[in-house]
Amino acid sequence: MMSRLFICLALISWASVGRSAPITFNTALPVAQSEFVARAQLIVNQSGSDPSGLARDRTAWAEISVLGYGVTSDLALFGVVPYVNRDLNLDMGTGPVNRHASGLGDIKLFGRYTIYKNNFSGGNFRVAPFAGLKLPTGDDNRGDGLGRLPAVVQPGSGSWDPFGGVVMTYQTLAFQIDAEASYQANSTARGFAFGDVSRLDGSFQYRLWPRTLGSGVPGFLYGVMEVNLIHQNKNRTNGITDQNSGGTRLFLVPGLQYVTRRWIIETSIQLPVIQDLNGLALRNDYIARAGFRFNF
Amino acid sequence: MMKILQRSGLAAMLILLGTMTALAEPQSYSLKVDGLACPFCAFGIEKQLSKIDGVGDLKTDVKAGVVRLTMKDGSLLDKAEAKQAVDRAGFTLRGIEKVRNAPQQAGESQ
Repeated sequence: MMSRLFICLALISWASVGRSAPITFNTALPVAQSEFVARAQLIVNQSGSDPSGLARDRTAWAEISVLGYGVTSDLALFGVVPYVNRDLNLDMGTGPVNRHASGLGDIKLFGRYTIYKNNFSGGNFRVAPFAGLKLPTGDDNRGDGLGRLPAVVQPGSGSWDPFGGVVMTYQTLAFQIDAEASYQANSTARGFAFGDVSRLDGSFQYRLWPRTLGSGVPGFLYGVMEVNLIHQNKNRTNGITDQNSGGTRLFLVPGLQYVTRRWIIETSIQLPVIQDLNGLALRNDYIARAGFRFNF
Repeated sequence: MMKILQRSGLAAMLILLGTMTALAEPQSYSLKVDGLACPFCAFGIEKQLSKIDGVGDLKTDVKAGVVRLTMKDGSLLDKAEAKQAVDRAGFTLRGIEKVRNAPQQAGESQ
């Protein structure tokens, strides 16, 4: 039954490093050659709308640390390290049950290369494909008094999952637009495979303050509005498709971001607008994020 | 005749002194950078430029897309090095203007 749960793994295992940039996905803005940038993000993923009648309620916390390194100004390498804390509460008819796991999640490594850039006065435009691999660093065989935990509660997936996509950024002094298309192919581990994930993301960041730019390098306060269209294929267990998993979700993501020369703080909330999910898959309530980035 | 020689010598010394003073005076440049559009980007450019030998003070004006760079005493900015530094940050150096008067050198720019 637990395999009916739908989880947007990509949402809690992906974070970007860059300049003023989208909060829920990556940017094409550069990392300077031989320099590091870091990012940390706290994500709370709450799912409690359960059509199955089991009163399932799932809360997943993730602390994501990202380190980016500029090999050149066009080629950047990234490492994404998640620490996860997952709780699933449900009522199986014999009273409330809690399934819980926490620990290191699956690390992601990827590279991004800028294939097109146009720097102009007061702005720039870039296009950068990226590709990488999600490593099975998280434990995928945790158990409790009820037996082995379901895959959606395990800290790791146990599988080696390649992913790739392309991101574009158009940035001016007043606003920034980012768009990304990506795909993650999830492979099988211990007989179980999450469905592959396809995403289309868009972000619009508008400078709210200062309204009029003076001289120097003032901090910028951006109002952010993002859109995430996420489709996940159905999960498979021992080759059998789970009809109560996968589907399509559309999130609207209002947020705020304050950008200075050395650091950025940001927060956003992903609100599900459309959840066209298969069968009895668990619905998202919201995904909240808060984070900072640091320029070394 | 002696007076003419004395005056010529004095004039030459004054010119030499003026030249030395000008050389010792910190040289400042205004670098026009294309692509600069946010505060976080400014730091990356400043950090790359600060790696150039002789660079002293750096001040960025995001709105103008300009980095004002002041060299340490006696140092001159090499345009090729400045261009490379801005490139390494991921941006484009459109031009350099010398802000204070200084002797024109081969490595300097327009």
